[in-house]
Amino acid sequence: MSDVFLDSSAVGYQHRVRRLAVAVLVVFGGLLARLAQLQLVNGDELQEAAVRNFVRTVRLPADRGTIKDRHGRALAINRPSFDLYVTPARVEDIDALLSGLRDVLGLDELDLVRLREKVEQPRGMWRHQPFRVAQDIDRQRVALAEALRARVDGISIRVRYSREYPEGVVGAHLVGYLGKPRADELQGENEGRYTAESMLGRFGLERAWEHELAGQDGFERHAVNARGVKQRGGWADRAMSDTVTRQAPERGKDLVLTVDIDVQRILHKALARYESGAAVVVDPRDGSVLGILSKPSFDPNSWSGRLSKEDYRAVADNPYLPMLDKSVHSYFPGSIYKPITALAALEEGVLDAGEPIDSPGSYEYGNRIFHCHKRSGHGAVDLNGAMAASADVYFYKLGERLGIDTQAIYARRFGLGEPSGVGINGDAPGIVPTKAYHDEHTKGGFQHGLALSTAIGQGDVRTSPVQMAMAYAALANGGTVFRPRVVERIETDDREVVQRFEPEVRGDLAATPEHLSAVTKALERAVNDEKLATGHLAGVDYGLIAGKTGTAQVRKIIRGHMRQSVKRFRDRDHAWFAAFAPYESPKVVVVVFLEHGGSGGKEAAPVARQIIEAYHQQIEPIFSTTAANEVRRRR
Amino acid sequence: MSRAAAAVGRIDWSLIGLVVLLGTISVVNLHSSSMAAGSEVYLRHLYWLLLGLGVMVGVAAVDYRNLQRLAPPFYATVVVLLALVLVVGKEVNGSRRWLDLGFVGFQPSELAKLAIILTLASWFQRYPRPGGYGLRDVIPVGLLLGVPMFLVLQEPDLGHTLMLMFIGGSMLAFEKFDRRAMVTVLFVGLAAAPLLWQFVLRDYQKDRILTLVDAEADTRGAGWHARQSRVAVGSGGLLGKGHGDGTQVAGGFLPENHTDFVFANLAEEHGFVGGGVVLGIYLLIVLGALRSASLARDKFGGHVAVGVGALVFWHVVMNMGMVLNVLPVTGVTLPLLSYGGTSVLTVMAAMGLLLNINLRRTVF
Repeated sequence: MSDVFLDSSAVGYQHRVRRLAVAVLVVFGGLLARLAQLQLVNGDELQEAAVRNFVRTVRLPADRGTIKDRHGRALAINRPSFDLYVTPARVEDIDALLSGLRDVLGLDELDLVRLREKVEQPRGMWRHQPFRVAQDIDRQRVALAEALRARVDGISIRVRYSREYPEGVVGAHLVGYLGKPRADELQGENEGRYTAESMLGRFGLERAWEHELAGQDGFERHAVNARGVKQRGGWADRAMSDTVTRQAPERGKDLVLTVDIDVQRILHKALARYESGAAVVVDPRDGSVLGILSKPSFDPNSWSGRLSKEDYRAVADNPYLPMLDKSVHSYFPGSIYKPITALAALEEGVLDAGEPIDSPGSYEYGNRIFHCHKRSGHGAVDLNGAMAASADVYFYKLGERLGIDTQAIYARRFGLGEPSGVGINGDAPGIVPTKAYHDEHTKGGFQHGLALSTAIGQGDVRTSPVQMAMAYAALANGGTVFRPRVVERIETDDREVVQRFEPEVRGDLAATPEHLSAVTKALERAVNDEKLATGHLAGVDYGLIAGKTGTAQVRKIIRGHMRQSVKRFRDRDHAWFAAFAPYESPKVVVVVFLEHGGSGGKEAAPVARQIIEAYHQQIEPIFSTTAANEVRRRR
Repeated sequence: MSRAAAAVGRIDWSLIGLVVLLGTISVVNLHSSSMAAGSEVYLRHLYWLLLGLGVMVGVAAVDYRNLQRLAPPFYATVVVLLALVLVVGKEVNGSRRWLDLGFVGFQPSELAKLAIILTLASWFQRYPRPGGYGLRDVIPVGLLLGVPMFLVLQEPDLGHTLMLMFIGGSMLAFEKFDRRAMVTVLFVGLAAAPLLWQFVLRDYQKDRILTLVDAEADTRGAGWHARQSRVAVGSGGLLGKGHGDGTQVAGGFLPENHTDFVFANLAEEHGFVGGGVVLGIYLLIVLGALRSASLARDKFGGHVAVGVGALVFWHVVMNMGMVLNVLPVTGVTLPLLSYGGTSVLTVMAAMGLLLNINLRRTVF
């Protein structure tokens, strides 16, 4: 070994070779360790990253269920809309493409210059990205575009579904509208359920029944290369072999309502003269809502999608708050609350229906004077007279006899003080004041005078139109308090019933039939009494109806007593009318609420009459011919 | 035993076997990326390999001591070519690395590696210092190494500049320098590093180095190559996805998959087993070179063998280090596996040098 090298440092070389060999082994060992780390330790995670590279998931949006009225007529449907796209990478003859699109879409020269730029500018993988040229093109143009597509490469037409509300502003609050999800709705429990492109219910039934209407989006997966081009066969098929490549979307369910579009139209027409208010029509026999409307309205078609600045402004600047559903919002009921006080007094044995009670123009109680709306007073009246003339002092005295907490018990039996169960747009519970309530909320705590104002639906009483409709339905049907039923059934696309909603009883008035009929008789008098009736403008020629006016003060009575029409809108009284018809065998309950509408008798009663007449004429003849004759004979 | 018979007996069949094995693996591996690209790269690579075998045999046939005499003119020629490429070189992606010979492109920086190996070896042979090399020897050695490095850096080609430095450095490590010289070189190197960073490195090169520090920071720009390479390697797992089924290559997600990132392709399709086998082959070649160094008949042969070993070693380390995301992205090829004519021929010539030295080693 000594003669390995001719010089004398051979041993040194041997030594250094060994050192280098060790260094090589260490470094290569390090490379092997790193290889093992990536492939054996991080392998699964990086395999997922590789899959994310080549697997593209395309969402298949589920069709939203439709909303139909009781006769199957459309309130919310999906309309296919066609968008035209161009993919730069597929364009072969740009001049042919441009001249073709000019003819089909009616583009001008400037559009064409821009379009050419958009086709020619993208580089690399961007060329494979289709861009939208036209949105929602009409059917005739779709046909022309299809023909062009056959001749020229690079065009594609995509279908998407947009929501359409054929009835527009009529019943907008009931049906609602759709909107894009907010950032927080894309996370949490909805994770994966919605994408930024999804539309979900924002208002009305669309929102309340989102889960049933939305359905379940599906997906389609395929392999793509780095430029995003779909790959088929070979490696792509083998790589996709253990991937679920398609899940069909599950269409949403359809809602069939108890509501009748024609009734909606009647309500819309009847309230046409009024800026702000609500009207509700229910069937007292089962609690079905036949019509429910709030004013002012908005156009759900523009709110579900491309909301223009003007449409938004129109709603945002409207002082009458179009986005508030007044049919389920609570207000002072005023005198339409009086039947509840009357029934309570009869049931508690503190009143006999025939008992005349002195009802002057004011009543001094404690150190306060409680006025009647009629300053001259009504003299001694029984229940029929008091209800007909809406004699306030009569009811103050009933309130005094009952006390506030006993009144509250009966109000709650009518379903007041808690949500009606209609299930849309807030469904306000309203307020049924009690002693404890006032101790908590009123300055100075409960005072006995509050029992008196509560008796005529003032004080702190708040009810919503839909709640009052259900309360009057209970008076009309012999005491059953129903939950207002809006959705009759949920069914599939093929009309297979998924779920049917039977009438739902919330409670019972548990009242003696004689007491109940005394109250309803009084309500009949309130419309038909020839001398006293405050609601006589609601009277119809076809037969007898029962009902009650309400003129709810929103401001303390100012001395001098201005006429309602002269007052500022916000200071005017709420005008109410609640009725059922026909009196003998009630088939409909109508509640009209005109926010700051003035007098119940002058404003709301004629509206209710118009609704009842139209219902009888156009929807269902609820009055018998003999009844009509009877009415005519009596007049 | 006749001289010829003795020579045949000394032919390093194991080295030839390793080279042929590596060549075969490379053709099969490139077949996969060829399928993805729809080209016939693997066939052209095969032709280069066959041509390379000829070069290897040619280089092995002539007694290497004659090559020692050819080292200075070869070095001079390479320096001229390196200067020439800066002027007339074909510009690709902002750098001039290729001389266009009409029918084929050619990279002088590849030849520079051989020139450095032969020239430094012959310098050490000519100026033996039994007591160890001193400070005055650092200057000529530094110049011999520095001139081609400087020219290659101007192309700019950071990868090859580093390669020249590492190969030269490894050969110096095989010699004995006195302490004063070593300390001086160390200090000059440390002082030069920040200056290099500030004045010599281009922004994209800095980016690539910075990407290593925070690999996820920029997955679309400088980090993209590195990221996709890591995904390809890691997703291969133990046994790989199978020939032609590497999704990173087939889908075109792995860039440069037939040249710089060819190992990622192999690791994706053949897994830890395939990658380990290839790494093992390189290890055997490098250790074989060191063995040749220790058995060489003279100082020149020993240094050439160390230089060839260093060439393979540093190529493997820099390339795999890049593919495995532990070193910055520099365009350093993986010997014989990466597609590229000049690269294949250079490595084959280097293998020829090893065979040559083994043929003429000391007989026991």
